[in-house]
Amino acid sequence: MKKAILAIIIVFLVLTGVFAKGTDDMSTVQVALSGSPDSLDPHKTSGTLTFQTIRSIYDTLVEPDRDGRIVPALAESWQVSDDSLVWTFRLRDGVTFHDGSDFDARDVAATFNRVLDESVASPNAADFAAISDVEAADDLTVVFTLSEPFAPLLSSFASGWGAILPSELIESGHDFGIEPVGTGPFVLSEYLMDSRAVLTRNEDYWMEGYPLVDEVVLNIIPEPAVQLQGLLSGQVDILANYAPSDEDLKLLEGYDSVEINRNVTALVMVIAMNTSRDYLDDIRLRQAVAHAVDKQAVLDIAYGGGEPVGTFMDINDPFYEDFTGLYPYDPDRAEQLIAELEIPEDVVFTMTLPQNFDPHVKAGQLYQEMLEKVGLKVEIRLVDWSTWISDTYRAANYDMTVIGHTGKLDPDGRLAGYGDGGMYVRWTSPRAAQAIETARSVLDFEERRRLYTVALEEMARDVPFVFVGTNYRYIFTRERISGFHMDQKLDSFDFRFVEVE
Amino acid sequence: MERARRYFLYFCILFLVLVALSALLAPLAAPFDPTTQHLDSRLAEPGEGPYLLGTDDLGRDVFSRILHGSRSVFMVGTITVAVSSSLGLIIGLISGLGGRTMDNILMFFVDSLLSFPTILLALTVVTFLGYGLSQVMLALGVLFSPVFARMVRVETMAMKQEGYIEAAHVLGTGWTKLIVHHLLPNMAGKLVVQGAIVFASSIVVESSLSYLGLGIQPPNPSWGLMLKDARNHMLTAPYLAVWPGLFIAMTVLSFTVIGDWFSERTGSRTA
Repeated sequence: MKKAILAIIIVFLVLTGVFAKGTDDMSTVQVALSGSPDSLDPHKTSGTLTFQTIRSIYDTLVEPDRDGRIVPALAESWQVSDDSLVWTFRLRDGVTFHDGSDFDARDVAATFNRVLDESVASPNAADFAAISDVEAADDLTVVFTLSEPFAPLLSSFASGWGAILPSELIESGHDFGIEPVGTGPFVLSEYLMDSRAVLTRNEDYWMEGYPLVDEVVLNIIPEPAVQLQGLLSGQVDILANYAPSDEDLKLLEGYDSVEINRNVTALVMVIAMNTSRDYLDDIRLRQAVAHAVDKQAVLDIAYGGGEPVGTFMDINDPFYEDFTGLYPYDPDRAEQLIAELEIPEDVVFTMTLPQNFDPHVKAGQLYQEMLEKVGLKVEIRLVDWSTWISDTYRAANYDMTVIGHTGKLDPDGRLAGYGDGGMYVRWTSPRAAQAIETARSVLDFEERRRLYTVALEEMARDVPFVFVGTNYRYIFTRERISGFHMDQKLDSFDFRFVEVE
Repeated sequence: MERARRYFLYFCILFLVLVALSALLAPLAAPFDPTTQHLDSRLAEPGEGPYLLGTDDLGRDVFSRILHGSRSVFMVGTITVAVSSSLGLIIGLISGLGGRTMDNILMFFVDSLLSFPTILLALTVVTFLGYGLSQVMLALGVLFSPVFARMVRVETMAMKQEGYIEAAHVLGTGWTKLIVHHLLPNMAGKLVVQGAIVFASSIVVESSLSYLGLGIQPPNPSWGLMLKDARNHMLTAPYLAVWPGLFIAMTVLSFTVIGDWFSERTGSRTA
């Protein structure tokens, strides 16, 4: 029965030509992408889909390696002055842009002046705000002067927002959002919105012998069920944005032609609580919520499996500390705490859920039932994504909400702003805020670690969020494909080492 | 052929009676609470254990959810028809009996309402009023009122010209009395037919809104929401989409078939 339905759907998809075809004499890799990038300009976006596309087109000065360490890319080496205020980068020689122009220090200077230009309004300009001056000392040396010591700078350079653009085109006002020009391993040769983006091998790429494949086709397939179909029928080689249910995994394990690669994402799944609201301002209620939640069950059922965490850091981060023992799953304790609070009968808490994220909606319904069981009335309200951003996240107009916080290369990216009564949890902890503030200007790893541990412990104890866990990431590839890598923190695709058998 | 049609009509009536009954008796008839999660028997297949139509991805009994979902379907349908027909009647009567200027102004608004795509208009109303069942019903009521208004207006204008109405009016019968005793009874048949069609359309729009997450809020059961949730399990549990889809389609079809039949009957009578 299931097989028959499957066959019908596959035949239907093939007949309707949902998937793009590559020419046969080239090595082509078909990849599923969940939606169209909002722009192809690295300085004017914060979309994951955009970075998944343009990671192959642009390069950065430095990049994270597979263990998350930051290693040279367009820069060969760098030095930091004793006062941490002057950063000098030595650039790679002989690199060219896709339009044929040479890469040199002027391009780097022009790029970061563009990022900091207020008229460009880069959404992540704050990551580079410490830079007060950037100058090309000679053709291959660039010097950054900072207004204050800023430890996350190297991570900022390694992020997608640090992509280097050619200075001539910046000056001529070229629209990179439509026609990207970088030094990356692939050139964008075709882009059809809502259909596909075709990346062709850059023959002059600076990494000798790479990339290995001739062409990568990013097929834009929004519907998860269709993505999975594509993989099973062999029309998609790499499926990396799919959150499988346990049933899906059982199904996929039956296919020999599909390889399942599992690691953890850098997300932290949370229930955020508005600590400025009645009752939620009482730590006992927040503790009760934390005790009421069976983290492992929610991770398994809603998020495709994962590992519970006890604080605001993903489990693989070097700054992660284990606080899961603080508020273990204990419905009886939760019930007791709620009884102590004597919440009137008619008080109903609203749980706001972003309706476009099915896993969060599913998790929300699980939380609701868990909370009702310990005596807390919760009502679900679905909102669309833009409402969630403006009304819930920016205006903090909510009681509880369910979301996942994406990973950042530097812990400051995740923690900045918490503790001073701001951010959407409206949480106040002078001790945490102080530690986060200080850690930003400390370059020594051990000292930073000590400071972040203070902040993370404050957060874990005071529970402005229920920190649920880090979910698993599944990368499904057809067996003829090897070498695909997805950066753990940046969530971007690296096709340089992909090989086709 | 004629016979087959009649049997189909009976089938549709029977189906609607059953759905209506289950809407009324859902709390008694449903074997489980529609929102209770049975996490150890998630995605059970139809007939597996005590679950007649299987369970969804949170282990909720699909049969119970279908039964409870029919309540919101009927509630939305009934209230939408009530609101839109009353609104339509008022506008249509004023438009038909009032002067030309009044008619022009009212029809301008009615026409502009008609020119919007249904879903788009429903989305706009729901965005302004907020999400939830009562908002959806109100939105749908306003949305479907133009079809009634147009119909009532045309009927009123035609009947106004009839000799017996003019005579009654000249003899001093007030408009209120004329409306109650002559206009309404004469257009009742057409109102019922239109009502059946609007009822059917409102089910589709409600399901679409719920599918988009703008109607009934989870975990409350709604056929549209069930369809939305089923989308993610097309490969592993296709029946999850079949049940709500089947019920939506059958309910809409039944209303349309009955409406058709009624319009044929009343049509032949007045002709």
